Amino acid sequence: MTILTFTLILLLGAYCAGLLGSLTGLGGGVVVIPLLTMLFGVDFHYAVGAALVSSIATSSGSGSAYVKEGITNVRLGMFLEIATTIGAVCGAFVAVWLNSSTIAIIFGCVLIFTAAMQQRRKDDHEGVKGSECARRLKLYGSWPQPDGTMKDYQLKNVGGGFSVMYLAGVLSGILGIGSGVLKVLAMDALMKVPFKVSTTTSNFMMGVTACASAVVYIQRGNIEPGIAFPVMVGVLAGALTGARLLKRMKVKVLRQIFAVCILLVAINMIYNGFLGTFDK
Amino acid sequence: MKEGNVGRDMQQLIGNTLRWGVTIACVIAMIGGAMYLLEHGAEPMKDYSHFSYSAPPAGYEQYTTLGGILGGIVHFSSIGWIQLGVIALILTPIMRVVLSLFDFLKQRDWLYATITSIVLAVIICNSLNFF
Repeated sequence: MTILTFTLILLLGAYCAGLLGSLTGLGGGVVVIPLLTMLFGVDFHYAVGAALVSSIATSSGSGSAYVKEGITNVRLGMFLEIATTIGAVCGAFVAVWLNSSTIAIIFGCVLIFTAAMQQRRKDDHEGVKGSECARRLKLYGSWPQPDGTMKDYQLKNVGGGFSVMYLAGVLSGILGIGSGVLKVLAMDALMKVPFKVSTTTSNFMMGVTACASAVVYIQRGNIEPGIAFPVMVGVLAGALTGARLLKRMKVKVLRQIFAVCILLVAINMIYNGFLGTFDK
Repeated sequence: MKEGNVGRDMQQLIGNTLRWGVTIACVIAMIGGAMYLLEHGAEPMKDYSHFSYSAPPAGYEQYTTLGGILGGIVHFSSIGWIQLGVIALILTPIMRVVLSLFDFLKQRDWLYATITSIVLAVIICNSLNFF
């Protein structure tokens, strides 16, 4: 295969990754890693660098619209970014010691968890009584309703949310993915933030979290230019198309199909991880 | 409006920063990418199947060190330009954090100015030996 062919196929693949990532709300990284490792036989350490690039691209690309609409809770995101950035630095530090098989197994487990969490009920948590800590940190917010009005919400369990965010940061540092599922879980299930606010704030945080480990990844050579540019351009274009489609499309069936695909990929990753295929 | 949300001006500013940053990064990477394909497009695909921290591929300084990347940009090397695009992409969320810091300072919100500074400090500390 020539470099031109490889680039074009990767560009197309990255476009699909960005599209699927944005339609399912999981971000491009989750699709980019299996695409590179399983389809092109690329080493995990390069794939993780590419996933990192795609996480920053999707977060910034789709984040701008959500912030402008006023759904994102910027203060909440900012506060929790302390946990995710410190986590990401730790994760990037640990990543050097991990071989491809270990990364594959961790990634597989994250995928299974992701598929399971996709089946959860999306809850808007009516009438949550917020905690004193959250009030002092000025984390209460309001979010736009379909009829145009703003609805106030309170939240609680700041400590619990903060701890899970640290873990999400560590996973981002190791895998380059946004670990959106864990971020949403921390805000939605633990802190009782409305689901829509949780997902947009999670997306908002991904870029900064990924940046905390990105420079280290460049220095180590994980971000290979020949892989980085088709991934960056493709994922971004796909994410923008996805954001447009999302307004008119019912994605429930797509998400169900996607969850099954994720499970299959996860089983493959874990199986081959234990066999050590990726290190041969 | 409750406190967790920031003002409308700030929302617009953050939103525009993200959009422009991504656009600029993407354009730079595409310029680099086009040059890369013109130069190397017909060559066989590189072997990406093995990565080693101890034995990096030849010429990897061109895309892993600031000096190498800057040198590449000056000499119109495709690799330098692609990495410049990646760096522009990385700087986009960081710019967002810096802008929020200014805004919190302007609002005299010392609590959030501190929180934002901590986030910024973590990112900068981790990137220091690059410069």
